[in-house]
Amino acid sequence: MNRALPLVILAMTILAFATMLLVVVPRAQIGSEPPAAGLRAYSPEELRGRAQYMSLGCVYCHSQQPRTPDQAPDGERGWGRPSVAADYAYDSPHLMGTMRTGPDLLNVGARLPSTAWHLTHLYRPRAIAPWSIMPSYPFLFEIKDHAAPGDTVVWLPREQRVAGKVVVARPEAMALVAYLLSLDRTYPAPASAIRDDGYSRVGGKP
Amino acid sequence: MSEHPLADEAFEPYEPRRPVPLPVYWMAIALALWGAVTLWNDSTAQSSGVGQRLAEAGDMTRRHSAAGADLFAQRCATCHQADGAGVAGAVPPLQGSRFLGANPQLVVQILLHGINGPIAVGGDRFDGHMPAFGSVLDDGQIARLVTHLRATWGNGGEVDAAFVKAQRQATRERHASWNGGADLVSLDPAVGPQPAFLSAPPAPSDSVAMALARGGKAGGWACAACHGAAGEGRSGVPRLAGLPADYIAQALLAFSTGTRASDIMGPIARQLDGPERVGLGRLYATMASASRARPELDGDLARGATLALQGDDRRDVPSCFSCHGPSGFGVAPIVPAIAAQQPAYTAGRLAALGRHGKDDAGAAVMPSVAARLSDADRRAVADYLATLPPSPAIDTDTKDAR
Repeated sequence: MNRALPLVILAMTILAFATMLLVVVPRAQIGSEPPAAGLRAYSPEELRGRAQYMSLGCVYCHSQQPRTPDQAPDGERGWGRPSVAADYAYDSPHLMGTMRTGPDLLNVGARLPSTAWHLTHLYRPRAIAPWSIMPSYPFLFEIKDHAAPGDTVVWLPREQRVAGKVVVARPEAMALVAYLLSLDRTYPAPASAIRDDGYSRVGGKP
Repeated sequence: MSEHPLADEAFEPYEPRRPVPLPVYWMAIALALWGAVTLWNDSTAQSSGVGQRLAEAGDMTRRHSAAGADLFAQRCATCHQADGAGVAGAVPPLQGSRFLGANPQLVVQILLHGINGPIAVGGDRFDGHMPAFGSVLDDGQIARLVTHLRATWGNGGEVDAAFVKAQRQATRERHASWNGGADLVSLDPAVGPQPAFLSAPPAPSDSVAMALARGGKAGGWACAACHGAAGEGRSGVPRLAGLPADYIAQALLAFSTGTRASDIMGPIARQLDGPERVGLGRLYATMASASRARPELDGDLARGATLALQGDDRRDVPSCFSCHGPSGFGVAPIVPAIAAQQPAYTAGRLAALGRHGKDDAGAAVMPSVAARLSDADRRAVADYLATLPPSPAIDTDTKDAR
């Protein structure tokens, strides 16, 4: 180690270069991006649901970033238009995810706007799709003999019900569903939005 | 003392200089070239992407600022004919029509809400069945269209966007079409005597279906929760209003048996019995609601219009409207309306039909056409159909009575 100083300088330069390209430049590009018109901030209830979403690890299987038609048929899957930076203005940290074991959820509130459906699905995903590999979340629910006033009873298909009992959603489940329903970026993308322009479609058109 | 040859303490070990093998240089140069070409390609893709986006924005602006005559050719000429002569016995003429000679308010109201009921024009009686353009044309477009109509076949005079906006505001509570001439004569008596409108009495099954649609079965998920209170659908969830009753009933049956796979509809449809399926079909068939569909798939609208109106012979794709009826309003009992359908649903359904090879009824006609559409074509036609006005409600009772 008779050239420690040049080595350290080189390592620092490489690190500084990477930080520049991966942190500073993107920050300068999108840091001042205003929220999209049509996007509203999360309510306290939705933020509690967002905390649930993070702690339950939903992000490991669900992305929140619909792609352009060049990259994936997300539009045809009903997952919504390609997202732009302004769509995430209130997401800190963003929950874009990297894995798509399950469907993309950035517009789940638009395509599945029913609270009752989400409660059933969270309680027992197999009640809806027998082949689903999503974990069930029974600890977000309570099984009671009778529903108290103000309780939200979870609907189950006839063959899945327990005789004489009702399944009631806990506040955590209601908050999580409120967050899921708030995921709705179906407003038009701002014309000036920073986006991925994808690949050239010359020749791709029929 | 003997001298050992290895005892040279001053010897520094060294590695002899070995040149880097030539192929490594070649590979490095090839990789660098590849990288440069990729970067260059990407930069052109970026600029051509921006160019295409600007072209699409310009296209959209042109559509929204089209002159009245262009709008008439796009939206009206299919039924009223290019010369405004109409079709004897089916579509009222615009030439010499008292409705155009009357005050501009009447024409604007007809365009905003459509007509659904008998109407007398020029001494002939027509089965009035005009779509509502209020949800697909903006105030400026309607103003230019009305100005063109009145200049060509009416008393002349200009109508501006503010007038249309005021008219829209005045009748914003109205969700159904005008009930034929009887309703319109109340707006302006100058249109002359009009046939009476006889509304069909509600069938007993309708209130049951209404309760199902709004509240779900036994506390289950309600149709309206996803498909909207007026069956207008939303992003990715299909529009149901104005689909033929039999088509809806058959789709529900297919969901319940698993012929048509859907994670969401399957468990719901399995809870329904035959009369409930039929009742829900009748309910949504008779519903009229504004279009909530907007192009959202980045499709080529001009290509979509070509496919819908003319088809594509090279790909052996017939025109959509040759089976789905003029303007895509569907043909009862089983060919669904496709106008004003949510584009994500249309495109996804076409893709699914193409893969699956059978539709709800087990027929292979539509699947074979869908299989010949490319991904870009599916998006183009879905986005084009989203720009069309919704089909007027199907009045099953009056049809049966006649």
